[in-house]
Order: sequence, then structure tokens, then C-alpha cells
Amino acid sequence: MLISLNWLRDSVDVPAEVDPHELAERFTCTAAEVEDVHRIEVGARGLIAARVEAVSDLPATRNLRLARLDVGDGRVIETVTAAPVLRVGWNVVYAPAGAAVAKLGTIGQAKVAGRASVGMILSGDALGVEMAVGEALFAEPALAPGTPLPPEWFDDWVIEIDNKSITHRPDLWGHRGIAREVAAMYGLPLKPYPVVAVEELAGIDAPPIPLEIQDPQAARRYSGLRLGGVPTQPAPLWLQLRLGRVGMRPISALVDLTNYIMADLGQPMHAFDGSRVERIEVGWAAEGEVFRTLDGVERTLPPQTLMIQSQGRSIALAGIMGGLETEVSEATTSLLLESANFDAATIRRSAIALGLRTDASARFEKSLDPVNTVLSIQRFVALARECYPDLKLTSPLSDCFPNPFPPVTVKVNRRHVTRTVGREVPDDEVRQILGPLGFDVTAGRRDLSVSVPSFRATGDVDIEADVIEEIARYCGYNRIPEVLPQVTVRRFEPCARLEVERRTLAYFSGAARFSELHQYLWYDSAWLTTLGFEPGACVELANPAATGLHRLRQTLLPGLLAALVRNRFHYEACALLEVGSVFERAEPDDAEFRHVGLVCARRQKGGENELYHRLKTALEGWGWECFGRAVSFGPAAVDTARPWEHPQRTAEVQLEGRGIGRLSAVPLELKRRMEEHLTAWAIAWAEVRLTGLEKLSPRTEALGRIPPHPLVELDFSVLVRREVRYAEVADRLREFTHPLLRRVAYVGSYEGPALPQQQRSLTFRVVVGDETRTLVEEDTAAFRATFEQHLASCGYWTRR
Amino acid sequence: MDIEQLGQRIAEIEAAVVARLPSVANVDDLRRVENEVLGKEGALGALITTIKEYPPAQRGQVGQVINAAKGRVKAALDGRRAALEAAVADAEAAAAAAFDPTLPGYVEPMGSVHPVTAVQWRIERLFERLGFTVEAGPEMEEEYYNFEALNIPATHPARDMQDTFWLTNRKVLRTQTSPVQVRAMLKYGAPLRIIAPGRCFRYETIDASHENTFHQVEGLMIDREISIPNLIALAHTLLREVMERDVKVRVRPGFFPFVEPGLEIDMNCQICAGKGCPTCKQSGWIEVLPCGMVHPNVLLAGKVDPHEFSGFAFGLGLTRLAMMKYGIGDIRVLNSGDLRPIVAARRLEGPVVAAV
Repeated sequence: MLISLNWLRDSVDVPAEVDPHELAERFTCTAAEVEDVHRIEVGARGLIAARVEAVSDLPATRNLRLARLDVGDGRVIETVTAAPVLRVGWNVVYAPAGAAVAKLGTIGQAKVAGRASVGMILSGDALGVEMAVGEALFAEPALAPGTPLPPEWFDDWVIEIDNKSITHRPDLWGHRGIAREVAAMYGLPLKPYPVVAVEELAGIDAPPIPLEIQDPQAARRYSGLRLGGVPTQPAPLWLQLRLGRVGMRPISALVDLTNYIMADLGQPMHAFDGSRVERIEVGWAAEGEVFRTLDGVERTLPPQTLMIQSQGRSIALAGIMGGLETEVSEATTSLLLESANFDAATIRRSAIALGLRTDASARFEKSLDPVNTVLSIQRFVALARECYPDLKLTSPLSDCFPNPFPPVTVKVNRRHVTRTVGREVPDDEVRQILGPLGFDVTAGRRDLSVSVPSFRATGDVDIEADVIEEIARYCGYNRIPEVLPQVTVRRFEPCARLEVERRTLAYFSGAARFSELHQYLWYDSAWLTTLGFEPGACVELANPAATGLHRLRQTLLPGLLAALVRNRFHYEACALLEVGSVFERAEPDDAEFRHVGLVCARRQKGGENELYHRLKTALEGWGWECFGRAVSFGPAAVDTARPWEHPQRTAEVQLEGRGIGRLSAVPLELKRRMEEHLTAWAIAWAEVRLTGLEKLSPRTEALGRIPPHPLVELDFSVLVRREVRYAEVADRLREFTHPLLRRVAYVGSYEGPALPQQQRSLTFRVVVGDETRTLVEEDTAAFRATFEQHLASCGYWTRR
Repeated sequence: MDIEQLGQRIAEIEAAVVARLPSVANVDDLRRVENEVLGKEGALGALITTIKEYPPAQRGQVGQVINAAKGRVKAALDGRRAALEAAVADAEAAAAAAFDPTLPGYVEPMGSVHPVTAVQWRIERLFERLGFTVEAGPEMEEEYYNFEALNIPATHPARDMQDTFWLTNRKVLRTQTSPVQVRAMLKYGAPLRIIAPGRCFRYETIDASHENTFHQVEGLMIDREISIPNLIALAHTLLREVMERDVKVRVRPGFFPFVEPGLEIDMNCQICAGKGCPTCKQSGWIEVLPCGMVHPNVLLAGKVDPHEFSGFAFGLGLTRLAMMKYGIGDIRVLNSGDLRPIVAARRLEGPVVAAV
């Protein structure tokens, strides 16, 4: 929201020496965030009002016209202008020869299109009204031709306040409320608000406007007034300039006046053509009703739309926009002025449903002060009379307020103030702070009783903490010394889930040398199609970020494979890691699980075996590192729905005998589908569900010891048929027992020309020893014989 | 064997040794030769045992002859040894001269964590040192914890600010880490000190500075006498720690339904040092820490008595902090899966000869 400093000065005498940037900084640190402060420097010198006497086209030109202007003292000049609209009898802002504005420099005389042109009619943009580019600004008739226009009308400071920082402060949506904060910040008085007394408005001897509110929950209050002798001439120039400063385009006297009140008090008003509206009813739109708003658009009204109606026909979208049919026009001579208060949620819902956010609806959404419906009319009349002495009140102030808001009083415990602010705030200081903000403070024995002004009582301030905030922000957040808290020491059980995740990430990104990345939480349907993966029932988004992004992932693999495609040209090899959430449909509640996903890839045809083993090694290391337990690998039935599972190379990852994930390699067929280049790559992957593992308390591994007598290592190479699995051989070796046996370890496997065809050699290192003595030649020879006998009984050859 | 014969024999042995020496190629062979000649059972060494075969009067002379011969042979052997050792040393020196000690070390790709994780871990360590515990909450959150429990009723305009991803099961992807506040209060009661890092989601159009998926860390501290100055002191400590340097803070009012009073803590812009630049929109300040005193309704939702306890809460944008710390200009790279912008090149590539 834009605030004009000149305008603020109507309510508070901000000293001339206050730097507007300093004011903005103080406002930011006390009330709400100022986003920008800038100077409007029109640099006006010698401007006067001039009256249009005649306008004629200049035939040789496309858009230039010749205007004859009365410039005062009986002098009439001719000037060429590009202003598209000029009315005979209206006043314009005129720069005689020798006058200047910063944007155009000094204005002189010139010959334009063959005509002598003296001085210049100034357009809005030259006067700092950016919305009126090339359009003349009209001045009010009260300014006689030749009246000098004071330079101070034109120069100003504009302060832009972040709308998001005042969503909870309906009172700050106008200059008056901002001025109240500024006055309090600088310890200055807030000047009285110039209004016409309610008694005078109520005392008009004429029939009141019939008002009826159907649902007082939705329409809290409706105030109206009829006016005659409505001006057709423009609003005062100073007022139009101010509207321009705060981003509103001057339109016509009535619209400008109501807009001015809205920007002044924050209360939206609407002017109906008085001849077209007999009475006012506030009610709900009919089902499927179509209504034409004053922007000319026909709108189908959503259910629960609050309407202003007159004798059953809709005349305005309550709180959002008026209707075309009752719009004021040049022919309008009488007005029905509306100032109402609506339920914030009702207006917000309709504005969103209609896709129509207006300055008015934005304010009503904040829960406005119902007192302002009458106050705004009082102010309107005072302002309009000042500008248009012919204005007549043709009805008394009519007001319908079925359920007046009860006054809000809040008990504030002094101890709570001290606790929050961090120091004691004496009652006098509390009064000094709250008084200028409109609060009344009565001191009780333990508590303060604080009555909240109506403009803060619509949801903004209704509990103790709200009042303490007012005190705290005026004590000055940047003036309170920082103090680290005094605490009660407590022991907390560590969050087991995070412990597991942290150890997992640290292990894989550290010792196992994977690179962590983050992927989106949802599948990309196009990518799933490429992969040939149909995920079945998923947890789904009601409002996905884009079409095809509606399904939440059940596995990290599609995302990791997509990342691999993205990295394939940049690296010869990569090891990708992600720890993240996956989701499953379930009854009664859908479930979220934490997974770790790993992809190991290398540009090397046929490198799967090695990568598979690298991953296996990493998973085994992870098991010991994170849980002090052995990860094992069991046979797995391939899930054919998941195209990244390799028909032969898939294993179940197990911990404590329970399946926790999968280890596999990407089949050639899928590589082809993903990306032609990837067929030259070997890709292995694993995915493990971490959820559930937090229950495993990490086991402390026993440390090694130095045996009292030397151990002897004996290597055995076992020759088996190629298709015999290592696991089978290892199982058979595990069956062997012997008093000297300490350990059997796997050394390696060999296939090659030194061996008979279809045979494979597996080498094991057997460690033997005795706790009580050093072994001699005979001991090891005897052991070797026994062990070889066992191997023979298993049907294995021993290779010498 | 008389003395004369002995002399002849010795001369033969000596001649044979001297003749062999040039062909002895290394010190080990030389030692073997030495043993064959001078050892106890060597050609010369064994002669000494024959001394008792001579008459006592001659024995002295015999001994002298043998020892003199041994001395000469030893000297010849030593000469050869010195030559061999010199040759070895020369070869070694030549090899050393050919060696290029400036060749780079062998680089194996290193692993790495995501920049957001790195910043998160740093913050976790800081808070653990301050006696906070680290908590986690679900990303698929119940509407109640994401909104109602945080004092955001259905009609509240604040729900506008929270453009939410809704799920068809009526849950939401949490829009903030704040739901963990109430979950933690219910789990532990007061007094309480937690932080809760995690991923959050907002229905937002993605561009260079906006993401629909980002990380926050929530902080919550509840005790008997917690004040705004406490909050500011802790926030300042936090920002100094993350930036690894002293920073200035500015505190101003802010509005969030779950705190009252609500505050915004700004940090002096680390890019322009507070002078004004596009990153800080010329203000010199960067909004980093929305925070405030926990709203009594939120304490009540967590079954904590607002009369006995007060507390503060803050939400720190981890993603933005990571971007500032690592100089990442485009937020989109963080979830793109492309390793280049999120991993230091040296962790993945071989020796770098030159880089700009």
C-alpha cells in the first residue's frame, strides 16, 4: 500500500526535519515493513490554472489539437496539445512560457504544425500521476484562471508498505491509521479528524433510506445517505494529485471522493445513481444468478455470494464491485452513498471464487471496524462540502446495525508483560504507549484492564498477548539488550528416526563416497511412461503443480534414474544418494515411509557385476556402521512391475533376518528406454526402507584381541562347477567344526585357462590356533587333512 | 705341506679371488665370496687350523703368513664392495633425478552431502551444544497440525499466504516445519527445547528464487521465564554460527498466526555488506528469521499452560541460507538432480590443471 507524506501531514505534524527514510525505518521496526520510500519531484515552477475556451482539431496532424485557454487577467492564448480529452469550461494545469516542471524542463513558445503554441497543458505523468500518461489533469472550477498552483501541492514522498505485513491490521489500510502509528512513534498529537457531526446528518428532514439486512452474520452494518446537487465538475486538483501518489487514477469527482475516503480511512464506499435505487436489501445471490458488474463483465455468481439488492434485483456485488446498471454517470444528479461492513470470510470466499480481487474486497477481507461506516460518511460530507458548496443532503443518515459489537476489554497480567518484554514496564509507561494508540488503561491490583479501540477490536487485539505485543513493540525490539535464556536442564530421548537417517547419510556420503541429491516428492507421469512403470494406487495431490505431477512417489528409484540421465554427459561415473519420504495408500490411513536410495553407475559395458558388488560392500559397511549388525542378502522374486529390477541380479537386502530393501542392476532393456547413451553404462541400485530400523538399538561391536599364541593361516582353493553358488559352498564350510578352527574367510574366486572348463575356484583362508600352546607342524598337517576330508565329503576338489 | 708349499697355495687362492672379483655383480655375491675365502671353512680361513701340523718354532711364522694373506684379500674385497656400493648409490641417484615429485596425487571421487544438508548439520550441531534436541515430523501432515493447532482457522486470511498442496486424502504436504511444535509439546511437555529441520511444500510457481519444495528448520523453546530478549540473543547466535562471522540483526514486528508478539529478524545483507544490492532489494537487510513468542492458543493445543510457561519459536529458511552460504543464485538447481551446481568439482573430478 502506498502512503503519501503530504496526506499523512493532515493528521500529524511530522516535523520538516524528519528524513522520510528515517521515518520509514522507524515504522518498519515499530509497526509494519516499509518496502520502498521515494521522492516525487515534480519540480513545478510558475504553473497556473487555465480554463479551456475552445478546442479545434489540427487537420494536418493525427492526434494534436489546438486549445484556446483563458489564462487570467482577460488574457487568452493558444496552445497545441496532445491531450485526448479536453472539455470547454474546465480548468487545466497550464505551464505558461517560462514555467517549468522537472520532467520537461522550462516551457517556452514553439511553432507546432504550423501554429504558434504558447506554453503547455500539462499531462498527468508530467505532474507525477503515472497512471495518466498523456492525459490532461483537470482542476476544480473554484480555481479562477490565472490562479498560481503552489509547488508544494506537487512534490511529495511516497512510502510503500508491504501489504503482507498489515494483513492483521485493518486500521493500517488508510492514511489515518498510519498517521496514528506515526504520531505515537514520534510522540506527536493526532490531529482531529474533520467530519460533519452525526447529529446533523441524522437530523435531515427527509425520508430515510429503507435498509434491510437478511443475514447479520454476513452483513454486519449498512449505512447510507442520499445526496443531491451532485457535482459534474472534477474533484479538487490537490485531491487528484494525492490519489495519483497512492496509485489511483483520477476518474470523476464522485469516484475520486469515494476512493479518497477509502485511502484515507480504509473504508470502501460505493456511490449508486440515486435515481435508480429506491431501497437497499443485503441478501444472498439467487442460485446460478448472472450479474453485470460496472466493468461491463457478466459474471455467474457462485453460491453464497452476498449481494446488494433493491426491490429484489441485484445492484452490487457486496464488498467487491458495483453493478453497471446503477453506476454513476455524467447524467447523475443524485446519489445514494453506501458505506457498509461485511464479514471478512464471506467477501474473501466470493472474491476468490469470482477471481475478482478489488481494492475494496482486499480491505473487507481484513475485518474492518464497523464504526467506520458512519465515520466515513461523516468525512465524505465534510470533504465534499468543502469542494462543492452546492451539495445537498436529501436523506438523513440511514443506518442498519443489527448486532452492535460489544466493547473489548482485555485483562493484562503485569508479570506476563515483564516476562515477555524482558524487563518491568511501569504502569505509566504502559499508558504512555497504549494511550496514543487508542487504548484505555485502568490499573488494578494485579492486572491492568485495557479497553481496546473499535478499530483494533475486530480480531486483531482480543487477548492479553496481543496487548503485550503493542507494549513490546513500542518498548523497541532493537533497544532491548540481548540476553541468553536461563533454562531448566532436561534429558531428551534422541529422535531415533533422525539418528538412523543422519548415520545413514553420513556413512553413504562419507566412507561409501556417494553424492547426496534431492528430488521432488511426486512422480512425473511422462518419465514413468518412458520407464514403462505403472505405479498403481498412489497417494495423490488434489492440486498438483502441473499436469502429470499428481502422484506421490512410492519409491526413490524413478527420481534417481532421472538424475542419472541428467548427469550422464558430465561424469564418467557417478554414485547418487537420496534419503527421503515415500508414500503408500493404506487403510485406514495412508502411510509415509523414509527410504534411502542408491544408484551406482559407470560408463562401462558389462560392469554390472563389479558395481553390484560395490553396492553390496557399501550396504554391508552401512549395516555395521549404523547398527553394529550384519546385512545379509537373500534371493528375491523379481517384481516385474518395476522395470529397474534385473531378472537375474536382484537380491533382497535383509537385516536381522527381515527384508528391508532391494539390491539390483538396471536391465539393458530399461537403459534403452531411458536413454540410448545409457546402454554403454553399467548401473546398479539399491533401495532400503529406513522406517522401522529406528527400533534396532545400535549394537556395540566387540573389539579384536591379541591371541596368546600365534595363529596359522592356511589357504584352500576349492574347485567347483561354475553354477555352484558361493553361498552354497560357504554354507557347507560353516558345517565344519574343529577345536583348532578360529576363522574361515573368503579370499577370492577365479575362472580361467588354468582351470578345467565350466569350473571355478573359490579360495578361502582358514585360521587355526590354540589358546594354550603354539601349534607345531604336525598340528597343521593333521588339520589340513581333516579339512580336506570334509571338502571331499562335500564333493569339492581341492586345488593344490 | 711345508712353508713354501703353503706360500704357493696362498698365492693361488689370492690370485683366484682377485680374478673373480670383477665379475662379482652385487654386495650379496661379494659376501658369499668373502665367506668362501675368509670364513671358518673358507679357503684361507680353514688354513689356520693346519697350524698345529707345523713344528712349534714355525707356527708363529705360519700364522703371520696366513693372516697377512687374509688381510690382503679382505682389502681387495672391501675395495670391490666400495665400488659396488658406489654403483648402487649412483643408480639410485639417477633414478631419483628422473622422478617427478610434482605429479599430482591420485584423486578418487569423494562423496558429498547436499548443500542444504551441510547447513542443516551445522545448525543441528550448534543447537545440540545449546541443549536442544532435534525432532522430526511427517511431510504428509494432518490439516489439524499444519493449521488449526497453529491458530490458523479455516477462515483465517493467513491460509492465503500458505498456498497449500492438498492431498486427496484430506491431508496436506506440510507448508512449514511448525507442525512439529505442537507434536513435540504433546510428546515431551514443558519445559522443552527442540529444533525440527525438514522439507516443506508450498503451491507456488517455480522460478529462479521460488520453489515449491524447500527446507526449513523450526526452533521451539519453552520454559518458565522466556522473553523476547532471549529470542533475539539466540537468533543472533544462530546467524553468527551459520555465517561463520559476526552479523548485524534488525528486529521488527511481523505477523504469523502462531506467535504473539510476532517478529521478523533481518540480517545485514552478506552480499553487499548492508550497502544495498539487488539481493536485499537495496535495503541492506535480508529477511531470514520469522519468529515470535508462542501464541497461547498454540501452547494450549500442545497442552502447555500459558500462565506457567512462555516460549519462543522461529522458522529458518535452510534453503535460502544454503544459497547464501554457497553463493547459489538459482534455487531450481537444488532439486534438479544435476550434481554440478551442488557438489564441489574437486570431489568428483580428477586433478585440475587450471580452473577459472
